[in-house]
Amino acid sequence: MGRDRHPKKEVEEAIRYAEANGWRVEVGGSHAWGRIYCPYNDAECRCGEFCITSIWSTPKNPGNHARQLKRVIDNCTTRQRIEEARKVAPVGSD
Amino acid sequence: MEYEFELRFNLPTDDADAGDLVERLGEAGCDDALIGIGQPGRIALRFTREAESAKSAIVGALEDVKKAIPAAKLIEAGPDFVGLTDVADMLGMSRQNMRKLMLVHAANFPAPVHEGSAAIWHLEPVLQWLRNKGGYDISHEQIDVAHTAMQINLIKAADRLELPMQREVRALVA
Repeated sequence: MGRDRHPKKEVEEAIRYAEANGWRVEVGGSHAWGRIYCPYNDAECRCGEFCITSIWSTPKNPGNHARQLKRVIDNCTTRQRIEEARKVAPVGSD
Repeated sequence: MEYEFELRFNLPTDDADAGDLVERLGEAGCDDALIGIGQPGRIALRFTREAESAKSAIVGALEDVKKAIPAAKLIEAGPDFVGLTDVADMLGMSRQNMRKLMLVHAANFPAPVHEGSAAIWHLEPVLQWLRNKGGYDISHEQIDVAHTAMQINLIKAADRLELPMQREVRALVA
């Protein structure tokens, strides 16, 4: 799909996980490899500062970096699922 | 040991763009932190830092950020201020079970620092309580990092302390 791959395998996997969850990836920077953008970046979102998360080119510990990236994405999608459940519940509750 | 903690900062309004700040943080050795730049005027860093103690990890991180962005003002260090859901997530239990635990032990569960539409605790006394109660796998490092984050927040809050009033009232609120 044209974008540069991250040189660290674990981090590249985390970036693909972000993409699979609708996050947009933008490549650019020097110490920074790029950024991921939350698809729900609005007032309702609870990612807060991490709605836009920076990714290092050479993180001190690639495994930790990848794990933290995945955690940001999981926290966000959990939020989304809760939102969905709330929207659905009143219809099915009687 | 590895310590996980978060530092959130206010940025001066007319400072450089986020990309530039991230580069400076990288230069200063914050490549062991995940950096969030999704809120205008804010920056957040989630560290996983190798250090001998939580204090040297967190103080070292504050020094690194100060070096990279001298005008950044700390808003909050974490993990310190938490709701029941945060504690439940940390321990891998459900919010309902955490709430039940609190209600069953209402008399000696640590009092929240604030109770309103949501209740907020300092994490350290809650972890200490859970550890004393037994049956919960709480490490020395978890307590150390919660303790240090709380100290940082208290030091920060003391900026606003008026000393004459403190001398007058201290005994009444102890």
